Amino acid sequence: MEEKSKNTETSVQVSLKLLDTLMSLAGELVLGRNQLLQGINNTNMDTISVSGQRIDLITSEIQDVIMRTRMQSVEGLFGKILQKFRGWVTHNNSGKDVELDRTILETMHKPLEDLVEVFIDDGKTNKNEITLKAFQDAGHVNIVVSAGTSRILSDDIPDKAAEVIEGLGGVVDVEPIGDAGCDLIIKLPLTLAIIPSQMTSIGNEKFAIPQTNLSELLRIPAAEVKDKIEKVGDAEVIRLRGELLPLLDLSALLDIPRMYLSPENGETMPERRINLADRRSPKYDSDGSVVQNEKPDDALKLLERDKSDRRQHKSSATNIAVVSAGNYKYGLVVDRFHDSEEIVVKPIGRHLKDCQTYAGATIMGDGKVSLILDILNLAQMSGLSTVSESNQLSDKLQQGQTSEKLKESVVVFKNLETEYFAASFEYVQRIERFSTTSIEYIGGRNVIQYRGGALPLYQMSQIFDVESLPERELQEVVVFSVNDKEFGLMVTPPVDILEVHLDIDTRSFEKTGVRGTMSINGHTTLVLDILEMAESFLERIL
Amino acid sequence: MIKNKNKKPTGNVEISTFHIGDAVLGINILDIQEINKEFEITKVPQSSDHIAGVMNLRGRIVTVLNTDKILGLSNDRNDKGNRIIIVDSKGEYIGLIADSIGDVVLADNSVIELPPSNMGHIKGKFFQGVLKNKGQLIGILNIDGVLGG
Repeated sequence: MEEKSKNTETSVQVSLKLLDTLMSLAGELVLGRNQLLQGINNTNMDTISVSGQRIDLITSEIQDVIMRTRMQSVEGLFGKILQKFRGWVTHNNSGKDVELDRTILETMHKPLEDLVEVFIDDGKTNKNEITLKAFQDAGHVNIVVSAGTSRILSDDIPDKAAEVIEGLGGVVDVEPIGDAGCDLIIKLPLTLAIIPSQMTSIGNEKFAIPQTNLSELLRIPAAEVKDKIEKVGDAEVIRLRGELLPLLDLSALLDIPRMYLSPENGETMPERRINLADRRSPKYDSDGSVVQNEKPDDALKLLERDKSDRRQHKSSATNIAVVSAGNYKYGLVVDRFHDSEEIVVKPIGRHLKDCQTYAGATIMGDGKVSLILDILNLAQMSGLSTVSESNQLSDKLQQGQTSEKLKESVVVFKNLETEYFAASFEYVQRIERFSTTSIEYIGGRNVIQYRGGALPLYQMSQIFDVESLPERELQEVVVFSVNDKEFGLMVTPPVDILEVHLDIDTRSFEKTGVRGTMSINGHTTLVLDILEMAESFLERIL
Repeated sequence: MIKNKNKKPTGNVEISTFHIGDAVLGINILDIQEINKEFEITKVPQSSDHIAGVMNLRGRIVTVLNTDKILGLSNDRNDKGNRIIIVDSKGEYIGLIADSIGDVVLADNSVIELPPSNMGHIKGKFFQGVLKNKGQLIGILNIDGVLGG
């Protein structure tokens, strides 16, 4: 019976509009081919690349249209069921906009009938109580048969129906509702579907991540690993725009040795690093308290060391695909990102049905099979915490951090080549570069026309006992704003903004307008107190 | 016990033989879809030991099984002369790795004996029967048993 239904309907009803589109695309394809052949005959790379692009576009369009000829609304299938079980099954409008490949729809006809019959045979179902609905979520189409009062167990599902559904790569489940009644949920994959996917690799193996699961791709340069990847208990996490994401190392999970592209000889080499987090990464207990923290001095040494960091090579960067599925959001660490590709999902054999790691497989351009990762199952298998759980952890960590030595943003600049100054970033409005000729000297002070007003300019020599700045064509100015009053400090570049642990020596240099000295990047730096400076000096100078 | 899939009235069966390590095994030629030489297997991490991986057979994804591991045989596989025997089981193509392929042996059903409870170290359930040919003992595989039902 089932075999027959597969073979009976051999003709398809396709709208003329789709066929017309297909015809014109076929014409385009022939033109593209002619152009390509011409290019090859004349070995004209320009023509070849132009026609290549054209054929690429046409192919995608043809693929899309052909797919559409195969897709049909679930409504048709529901209609047949409604007709057969008139008086039992009620009409439900949902399903109109849910489409499935026609082969799946045809194959589903018999099992769906069988399943509805189970409810009717149960004897407890009242007339018009059975409803059908369909909806799509994350690459699956769900068909739900709900019965009002009847309750069946998964054992009651006819073997034959279950077999056919599994044959399509789907699953059927019974979900009890309240005290009586249940939902029969048939989850069907879009097996014949073409899904856009991000190709990634671990070692020499390629894996596809469905684009629907993908939020963004991150590339953490080796030198930044220690700042961005943290260790909480045994788990490694990444802080992304204030959000704490758990990390899953695909290579460890799949037990494939990591490889990296050696910058010296361009060969792929086995990766020797085992942990994602740098040993310099901050570490926290699972309750959020700091386990091991760098001494403030170390932080400064690290800043200094950045330039000669052993892991500065681009190729040893950490690649993270930020993915989400169900209640999970996490970072999947892979060796390399490849192109995003449209892949045809192919079913995998029965021996691999138990293997939850994959959603299916696909055949790549080179003919090799690549596996499609099941992002939800990966998270569940590794016991990752869900989004809400990570948020709690994130909150805890933030609390932990306030007790930690405060990090502050400072702007660092020079007066003369060897005179280093720093000031809290809090009062910095902008950093500007003016042409020296536009600086005017009016009423005993330097000003510049700036954003519709006159900005007073000072230099360090007016405040402290330091040399005045040499004349240059361009002058860098740090614009501060204190109590809504703006003023500019003329400085010598480079002007840098750094995050440092403020560990100021207040004794060695006591002076109004100065907080003290500290070592930044190995230079003894005078840390200015902008507020005090503005109040006690600048007002007087004005 | 012996499933006679051969419909010929003479009762003859053709057995395609192959080797895994020292063992000589056979499969009813009617169970075999094809035998492949050029192939590239994609490993499937986190799957069972019995699974060598998946391969592309003209657009179809075919699971390839480590026949030696399933049967508990040691092999001298060097990956060079390997062949994959594609069998059709319940509408699905499945690949079985063999070290090398032997001759096709024509035998009458009557000379195929019932398998012993175990043969060498291999469990009896994997066999359909045993055939003596030119002094060699050929274990004829029960495909369903090998593929795990």
